[in-house]
Amino acid sequence: MKVRRLCMFAALLVASLVGAQEPKATPAKQGGDGTAAAQPSNVKTTDEAISPELRALIDDDTAEVLRRINGLSPYEVPNLRLREDTNYAHTSVDYEPYGAIKPYKEFFLKQMEYTGPGRAIPEPGPDLKSVKIGFIGPIMSTVSVATGGKSHEEALGIKMLEGAKLAMEEWNARGGYFRRHIPFELDISNDNGLWGSSGNEIIKMAYKDPVWAILGTIDGANSHIAIRVALKSEVVMMNTGDTDPTFIETNIPWVMRCIGDDRQMGYLLMDYILGKMKYKRIGIIRGSNRYGRFGVRKVNDAARRHQHPVLIEMAYKVGTEDFSLQLQRMKEANLDVVIHWGDAKESALILNQMRKMGMNQPYFTSDRSVSPEFVKLAGANAEGVISGYPWNPERQDPKLDAFRAAFRKRFNDEPDTYAAHAYDGMNMLIWAIQVAGLNRAKIRDVLAYRFKPWPGVTGDIPFGAALDDIGDVFFAKFQNGGWRFYSREDLNVPRGYIPARDRVNRATGAIDPMKPSAPAE
Amino acid sequence: MRTLTTAILMLALAAITFAAEPPKLPYVYTKWKHFTVEDGLPNDHIFAVKVDGPRVWVGTQDGLAMIDKRTGKIKSWTEKDGLPWRVITAIDVDKKTGDVWLGLFGGGLARFSGGRFDHWHQLNSGLVNDVVYGVAVQDEYVWAATTAGASRYNTVTGEWTIFTEKNSPMEEIWNYNVAVGKGKVYLAVWGSGVLEYDLATGRWKDYLDPDGEMEIDLYRDDGIVHVIVTSASPADDVVWISTYFGACRYDGRHWRGYYNQDSGLASDFINNAKGRSADEAWFATDKGASAITDFKTNTWVTYTRDAKGVGGKAVIMRDRDVLETVDLPVSIPHNFIINYDIDGNDVWVATAKGLGWGVGESYYPGLKERPKTVAKVAAAKGGAR
Repeated sequence: MKVRRLCMFAALLVASLVGAQEPKATPAKQGGDGTAAAQPSNVKTTDEAISPELRALIDDDTAEVLRRINGLSPYEVPNLRLREDTNYAHTSVDYEPYGAIKPYKEFFLKQMEYTGPGRAIPEPGPDLKSVKIGFIGPIMSTVSVATGGKSHEEALGIKMLEGAKLAMEEWNARGGYFRRHIPFELDISNDNGLWGSSGNEIIKMAYKDPVWAILGTIDGANSHIAIRVALKSEVVMMNTGDTDPTFIETNIPWVMRCIGDDRQMGYLLMDYILGKMKYKRIGIIRGSNRYGRFGVRKVNDAARRHQHPVLIEMAYKVGTEDFSLQLQRMKEANLDVVIHWGDAKESALILNQMRKMGMNQPYFTSDRSVSPEFVKLAGANAEGVISGYPWNPERQDPKLDAFRAAFRKRFNDEPDTYAAHAYDGMNMLIWAIQVAGLNRAKIRDVLAYRFKPWPGVTGDIPFGAALDDIGDVFFAKFQNGGWRFYSREDLNVPRGYIPARDRVNRATGAIDPMKPSAPAE
Repeated sequence: MRTLTTAILMLALAAITFAAEPPKLPYVYTKWKHFTVEDGLPNDHIFAVKVDGPRVWVGTQDGLAMIDKRTGKIKSWTEKDGLPWRVITAIDVDKKTGDVWLGLFGGGLARFSGGRFDHWHQLNSGLVNDVVYGVAVQDEYVWAATTAGASRYNTVTGEWTIFTEKNSPMEEIWNYNVAVGKGKVYLAVWGSGVLEYDLATGRWKDYLDPDGEMEIDLYRDDGIVHVIVTSASPADDVVWISTYFGACRYDGRHWRGYYNQDSGLASDFINNAKGRSADEAWFATDKGASAITDFKTNTWVTYTRDAKGVGGKAVIMRDRDVLETVDLPVSIPHNFIINYDIDGNDVWVATAKGLGWGVGESYYPGLKERPKTVAKVAAAKGGAR
C-alpha cells in the first residue's frame, strides 16, 4: 500500500512538473478570471516536494484525479469517470412525477462535465499575497423583495459567515495555503438586496477582485442569479444554505451544494404524515416568497400523488403578524394536519394563533423553525412540533464536538445549521484549493470527481450526479423543552420503493408514449 | 426458372443503380480560419460575435474587437480606450445607424458610435440590471436581457420600459437572451421558458415545458424541452430554442425536441442557438458545434476539434446514424462553443478559446446529391461518438 501511494505521489509530482515546464497556453492578458498577474507557466508554482501537510490531504483517488487534470492543454478534457445515479434525489416510486408514464428523458442522473480550456490557465505569479475566497450571504439589513420592506435573513447569513470564517481561520492557523505559505482571505459580499444585486456581487468576485471559489447564499432567487454568473465566469459556487430544490436543477457544472434540500425534507415529512400517521386532510400555510413557494412544491406533489391532495394552501406576505384570515379558512377546512413553510418568527406566530383559535392539529414546519427565535416566541406551544432537518446535530462525533467548542470560543455563541454547513462548505473549498492549486477549473474538478463523501461536522456529505448533498435528512421534534433529532428508522417511518434502475430503462408497466400502441384487433 | 433468372437480374441491376447513385448529403464546412490573441484579439474567451457587412464584431472576456474581413486586420478596444466594462456578452448592430450595441456582463449597456462609447447602467437609466446577457435592436428600440428582467430603450425618445414579473408572464425574471423575429421579440428566460412579445398588440405569450417538472421531459415533442432556456432564435417562420437540457424547434403549431440520444447534437448542454432557416440551425454545445442542416430528415453535422493539433472532424448524422465522417485539417478553434453568427454562406463560431470563421465556398442549404467527400466513413450504426 505504501509503495502504491509512493508511486501515486511520484506520478503526481512528475505530472505537476511537466505541467509547469511545458507552456500549454499563451498567458492571458486579462486579470479578472483568476489569472491576475498571470505568469508564463514555466514559473514553478507547484512545490517540487509536496509538503507533509499537503500530502496528508491527498488520498489515492484524489491523486489520480490530479494526475489526470494536470498538464492538460486547453483542448483536452480529462478522462475521468462521471457519477451516474439510477434515481434522482432518492425519489420513491410513489413520488415520481407522472409515475404511470415512461418519460422520454430523465435529467440529473449523469454528472455534468466541464469541457472548457480553464485547466490550462496558468497559476498567478509569486506576487500573490493571499488566496481569496468569496462569501455572499444576507448579512446586512437592506430592503427585500420578499417582504416589500426590511430584509429578514440576516440572522441566518451572519451565522453562515461565522461558520465560514471559523473554517478559514483554522486553515490559516495551520499555515494557510500550503504551497505558498500565504493566508486565505475571505472576500465578503452582502446579497440581501433587491433581486439582481447578487449578480453584480459575483461579477465583482469573478472579475474585479478575483476569488478562487465562492461560498453562498441563502435566498433562492439570489442564488439562481449568482450561479448564472458563476457559470459564465467559470468559478465554483458552493451553496451551504439554500434548500430550494431547483437550485441544483440547472445543469451547471460549477455549482455544488452541501446541505440537504426541501425536496428531501419534504418527502421525509410526507412519509411521516401520509405513510406513518395516515393523515388525509392536509393544509399548507407558507410565506409568499420563493422559500415558501418552492419549499412546499414537493409536499404538494407528494400529497397529490398519494391520492390525498392538499385541501387548502394559504400564503402570507413575509413580515405579517396577523394570520387570522388564513387560519380562519384553514379552520373551516377541518384539517388533520397543518404544514408551514417559512421563517421562524412567522412559524411561531402562526402556531400561537392556531392554538388560540382552538386549532389543535399537529403542526409540521420547515427547518427554519428549528431556532431559538421560534422556541422563544412559541413557548409551550412548541411542544410536539415536527420539522424536517438537513442533519442530525445530536450525532456523536468528535469533529462536531470540536467544531462546537471552537465556535463557542470564537463567537461566544452556539452554532446553528447555517454555521455548521458553512463550516463544512468552506472546508471543502479550502481542501480543494490546497490540493488542486490556484486554478478554478481544477478546484472544481477535485470536488466534482471526489467520490468519497466529505466527512463534515454535519455528517458525511455524499454528492449525487447533480453535485448535491444526497445524504440522509432527519426529523427535528420539539420534546420536553428542546429539539430532539430522529432518523427515519428511529421513528419507524416507512419509505416508498426506490427502484434500482432509472425510469427510462426500467422494465415496468408504465406507458411508453414513444412506442406506438398495438393495433386494435 | 426463366422468371427467376430475370428477377435476379433485375434486382442486381437495381442494386447497382442504387449503389452508383450519390447519396444526398449536407454541406460541410471544410475551410476554417482561427482568430486568437496572437492575431490581435484582446482575449481568447469569446462570448459574442456579430457580423455587419465587412466588419465582424467580437465580444470577449476582456474587450471588444473588430475584424475587417477584407484585410484581415483586427482593431480592439479595452477599458483604456473608453469601453465602459471589459466583459462583453452580447452584440447587435443597428442596421439604420451602424451603431454597435454591447451587452456588458456586470457593466450595463453600451453604444459604440462614431468612435465613442455611451454607457447606460442601473444608476443612470432604466436598465433593470447591469448583468446583461443579451441585446437586440428592433427598429428604434434596443432590448436588453438582464439577470433581473428585460429592458427596452427607445433610442428616439430616450424612454425606457422594464419587463419583469409585474407586467409580463415571467415566472422567473432571469433573462438570458433576446432576439427579434417577424413582428415578434423573443425572450429566453432561465426558469421561465420562452416569452414571445407581439409588436403589433403589445401582448405576451409564454412557452413553458408542459410537464412542469425539472427532472424529466415527459414527451419529446410537446413543447419546450426544459424551462432553463438559453436562447430563442427565429428564422423564417420557426423559432429554434436552446436549453442546458437539449434543443427544440417550434413552427407555430408543432414542436420538435432534440437530444443527444436522438439527433446529431454533440451534447445536451447548449449555450446558444442560431437559426439560419426553417431547416437549418446551429447549436453551441460544450462538446462541439452542432448544426441541423435538414429538418425533414433530421440530418446534422457536428464539428469538433481534436485534442492535438488544429484539425478535427465533421460528423454527418441522421438521427443517431453516422452517414459520413470528414477529417478536417483545420476545424473549429475549440469544442466549447458559446455563440454564432451566420454571414451569408459563412458561419462565425465564438468559442471559449478563439473565434472560428467557417468559409462557405459553394455552400448549399439542405441536402444535395454528391459523392462522399470522405476521408473516412464510419460504418457502424448507432454513432461513432
